[in-house]
Amino acid sequence: MLRRVLPPLLPALLALLIFVALPMLWVVRTSFNELVDGAYMVEALSLDNYTRFLGNPWYLVNTLWFSVRIALLATAISVICAYPVALYIAGTRGLLRNVLMSLVMAPLLIGLVTLVYGWIVIFRGGGLLNSLMIALHVYDEPVRYMWNIKGVVILLVYIGAPYIVLSLLDSIEKISPYLVEAARNVGASRWTAFWKIVFPLTMPGLYAGLVIVFSLNFAAFAVPLMVGDSKTQMIGLVIYREALLNNDLPFASALSVIMVAANTLILLGMGALFGRLILNKLEVKQ
Amino acid sequence: MPDDAIQVDAIQKLYGTMKAVDDVSFSVAPGEFVSLLGPSGCGKTTSLRMIAGFIEPSGGSIRVHGRDVTHLPPEKRDVGFVFQNYALWPHMTVAENVAFGLKLRRKSRREIAAKIEESLSVTGLSGYEDRLPKQLSGGQQQRVALARALALEPELLLMDEPLSNLDRALRVTMRRELKELQARMKMTTLYVTHDQEEALSMSNRVVIMNGGRVEQIARPYELYETPASSFVADFVGITNFFEGTLMRCAEDWDEVRLASGQVLHARAGAGQGGQPGDAVRALIRPERVTLLSGPEEGANILRGQVMLAEYFGAVLRYSVRLDSGETLRLEVHNFDAILENGTPVHVRVPPEHLRVLPLDGRA
Repeated sequence: MLRRVLPPLLPALLALLIFVALPMLWVVRTSFNELVDGAYMVEALSLDNYTRFLGNPWYLVNTLWFSVRIALLATAISVICAYPVALYIAGTRGLLRNVLMSLVMAPLLIGLVTLVYGWIVIFRGGGLLNSLMIALHVYDEPVRYMWNIKGVVILLVYIGAPYIVLSLLDSIEKISPYLVEAARNVGASRWTAFWKIVFPLTMPGLYAGLVIVFSLNFAAFAVPLMVGDSKTQMIGLVIYREALLNNDLPFASALSVIMVAANTLILLGMGALFGRLILNKLEVKQ
Repeated sequence: MPDDAIQVDAIQKLYGTMKAVDDVSFSVAPGEFVSLLGPSGCGKTTSLRMIAGFIEPSGGSIRVHGRDVTHLPPEKRDVGFVFQNYALWPHMTVAENVAFGLKLRRKSRREIAAKIEESLSVTGLSGYEDRLPKQLSGGQQQRVALARALALEPELLLMDEPLSNLDRALRVTMRRELKELQARMKMTTLYVTHDQEEALSMSNRVVIMNGGRVEQIARPYELYETPASSFVADFVGITNFFEGTLMRCAEDWDEVRLASGQVLHARAGAGQGGQPGDAVRALIRPERVTLLSGPEEGANILRGQVMLAEYFGAVLRYSVRLDSGETLRLEVHNFDAILENGTPVHVRVPPEHLRVLPLDGRA
């Protein structure tokens, strides 16, 4: 098995080693170094960088916990937005489907900066949305959507939802329509059949989407940088600032390690939860 | 009849201008086992799915025990359905699959447990309650699907080629078990199949369909022995076809002249009211043709040569090239030797078993 599989995988493994594993090891090593005034950094084996973050309640609340909350919130809203879209697309064919799929994929193909500025035009004080809402008398004063938490969440949802649509679609299309008919046949209404049969069977796709989107959201830095304010201190943004603005590579490295560790823990938790709820049943072997 | 379990009246299904089901009517009496038999695309599954409510008919009506269900959603019909691919819910155990419909009917916990036990026991699945569908073989999965349907004690059971995904040996066993179970429970059953053996061996009556239409509704024996059309004769079993002309319709016997000039006698009335001169088909089943031991003279005795001998163990089937040019297949059940290819033979086509059908456009 290994002898057959290894040779073709070798270039990829090598690339992973050079471009992922080694830099990460370097980051871990750097996280124990010290920053000395006037010097770039000095080799050391100190936990100071970790205690500086983990021992500081302000960081824990305003950066780590804040990032978890925003990532969870944006992921949850993405799911709520993406689910009906995926269901609808799954029921379409031909041209309509191609058009809808292109619309869903478009944000993934456009550069992030272009995308964010596009949304700023729509959501800013005198932007399209506010003008429309005021013209329709939904409200009288412009609502501030950008450069605050709202802006960050709106854009994270916009960027994350397509991934969830795509992974849900894959799951929905694997569900045989006969399973729904069988449920209707034994007395389930359309809604009950969806809730008891279709919904549980989309959990693998939902889970795959959640893993991707939560990780993207949790590590986001461009979005809070561009449309956030002083309160949206998400961990990715703080790492960016420490590494590139403050030149404090050891602290930035320690933060990176903490971010990856926290992300991994949360994903493991989600995995255990979904596994217990349903995935274990679906993945059982004959 | 008003007390029929199912009354299907002139149902139709159009897809664009294509008539998938065209003016199909039949009924099933309580406790009866009726098969819808036909080649793929004949509309049998579409008809069954219309009765279950999965497909809306374009016309006609469907009654279940006198109640018009034509436009009811499937969940309001109280009709059991067994799918070809089982359609078990993969995230539920065997017991949960069976319990699902019972829970929707708000049965008590005790009642549900009793029903699960009963329906798994009649389908031979006791002890499999906590298995997931993936952990079962195809045959076991189909039993679960059956148990799931039976647990609800439906007014009638619809089955869509339930055995066609199983291997042959299992199919034959399950066929027998299914028939026994159906007869014991007196379960009104409508069964779709393309397998004539299944239809003939299990059914009280068979509805044979072709191109969206009903060709014949008959008991298996009648279907085989007195097919109403060339299609039925050809689809059910093996038949020798000879095209020819009806020459004589008389009190004593009818006569058909084949294209080759050979004249065959048939029993009186075989021509079914046709007129001399009508183009007809003469049909004879291979097992009704007699292989004679030596040269004989007389009506319906034909000469030819063995072209092919196919030996099936209990049955020997010869293809005989007749001197008149036609090929005749015949079957022999008691034989002591197999004739070589090229052996000259005499065969007799018994007039009482020769069927004469009008040469219609549909055949």
